[in-house]
Amino acid sequence: MTGDILRILLLVLQLGFVALLYLVLMRFAGSLLKDLRSAEQAQLASRSGIGRLSVLESPADEPPSGTTIALGPINSIGRNVNNTIYVEDDFVSTNHAMLTFRGRSWFVEDQGSTNGTYVNGHRIDRPVALSFGDELTIGRVRMRLDR
Amino acid sequence: MRIAWRGAELRLLLPIFVLVPLGFAITNVALTGAFDGGPLHLAIGYVALLVGAHLLLVVLGHRGDQLILPAVGAMGGIGMIMLNRLPQDLAGTSAFGIELGMAATQLLWFGVGMIAMLVIAVGLRDDGILRHYKYSWAAAGILLLGATLLLGYEVNGARLWIDLGPVSVQPGEFLKIVLVIFIASYLAETRTLLTSARLRIGFLSIPPLPYFLPMLALFAVVMLIVVRLNDLGTALLFFGTFLTMLFVATGRRSYVLIGLILFVVGFTVAYQFFGHVQIRVDIWLDPFADPLGAGFQPVRALYALGRGGIFGEGLGQGLVTLGGGLTIPYVHTDFIFTAVAEELGLLGAFALLGFAAVLVFRGLRIAALARDDFSGLLAVGLTASLGLQTLIIIGGNTKLIPLTGITLPFVSYGGSSVLASFIMIGLLLAISHKSAIGADGDAGS
Repeated sequence: MTGDILRILLLVLQLGFVALLYLVLMRFAGSLLKDLRSAEQAQLASRSGIGRLSVLESPADEPPSGTTIALGPINSIGRNVNNTIYVEDDFVSTNHAMLTFRGRSWFVEDQGSTNGTYVNGHRIDRPVALSFGDELTIGRVRMRLDR
Repeated sequence: MRIAWRGAELRLLLPIFVLVPLGFAITNVALTGAFDGGPLHLAIGYVALLVGAHLLLVVLGHRGDQLILPAVGAMGGIGMIMLNRLPQDLAGTSAFGIELGMAATQLLWFGVGMIAMLVIAVGLRDDGILRHYKYSWAAAGILLLGATLLLGYEVNGARLWIDLGPVSVQPGEFLKIVLVIFIASYLAETRTLLTSARLRIGFLSIPPLPYFLPMLALFAVVMLIVVRLNDLGTALLFFGTFLTMLFVATGRRSYVLIGLILFVVGFTVAYQFFGHVQIRVDIWLDPFADPLGAGFQPVRALYALGRGGIFGEGLGQGLVTLGGGLTIPYVHTDFIFTAVAEELGLLGAFALLGFAAVLVFRGLRIAALARDDFSGLLAVGLTASLGLQTLIIIGGNTKLIPLTGITLPFVSYGGSSVLASFIMIGLLLAISHKSAIGADGDAGS
């Protein structure tokens, strides 16, 4: 008799356990769906560009440090105001470097500048492919390529 | 600074706080015929660990993914319930004059693992140490592998343990993380070269040799693991993780094809020349050929899956011991999934797979949202590693693929496995935190 009660109790508890297990799983599914919807909207709102530069350090504050610059496919960088990205720094040449998006990747090429162009601290002497997260140094201005 | 409450995380954790003590209570009633509390304090301890981890993430202002900790908590919870249900003298520690049973020891490792996870998730503000010292990481990996080759001792035919006084460690578990860091860093640097440059041989296009060599070196490492350590599971895991990362980094199917060809060739050679590979495959093809010898473990496991059926035998009501020994040898490590399927049935097994799927899904989401190539590839590698490990061991348990002895992350008993898995989760959380902070920075500027 007590054996039967025990068996029934165990069965009920077991069913409760499995039900709770699936409740947790349903909650996960709910959270996943909610995140997917909001991520979709966020993506529509922000991610249209092919990349941007985050200014990490800029002693002359042009471009101001802490800002991000949206990039087009072809960007010239230099002290001449006609450049796509105008950099006001005594160590930057008039036409310093070109930052271009070709195919699936970003490339940077020095335009014969006096003080050189550096990628992750190494001076470049030919066009170099950039990965997202790489650091680009032009004169005293430090920038990072971001998605 | 505004406090981020991590409400989604708490909402998902709450039912788990009930689930784990309930599982312990059912086991207690089923085993003793009455409710006397039993090892309920272990369940409370487990819940306390999850609460602590959640609160610390809130207090420390962590902004990373909120579904990962609950998914890990659910998997670990099912694991704790099963380990508590098995005979406690299967494993354990007796350090500093304190005797701990298997479940208690596992709980201790969960504590250590969660601390490691929190330290990495919150402390790793700059991934420079991971990214820029890649050859140091590679050296550390080779050192770990060398240590296993020289000092390792065999358990169950595979030599992957090193004895360190009170604890034995499995360096392979940590080698896995180090390799993923190295590969992510290497691929992030050479990605563009691997995608653009090519050398055509017939219909295959392969990258120029200098970029191809590290791939071959890695393949050699994997083969070394198979041949010298007899550890097929880890070898398969490394290779699968590497191929996944390579494909994500380059988007080139030909690399995957080359990898698969290498795999088939390597496997065929290993099958021809090494007895232990042959045995594994033969057992897989027909475990019933020698049901009391080589096929003993898989045959018993298949019967256990059959007993479980759809709804399971019930917690604490499965057939764990038979004739004075364990029904399935190594049920607490390699065959924990079978134990879950026996007592919780197909339903419970599916739920467990569901939690693992959530973990993989979120890991890939973290990779997709990562701000730079290195973080993205690191997240892909960590996720692939956790996901493949789950698939390989569950596949082995259910006789879908030949059985290879690796652990089921967060569920199997084992300190090295738990600690390594939590370190990986810590890294994923750190990457996810960094992207969340970055996204906010954009909105501000």
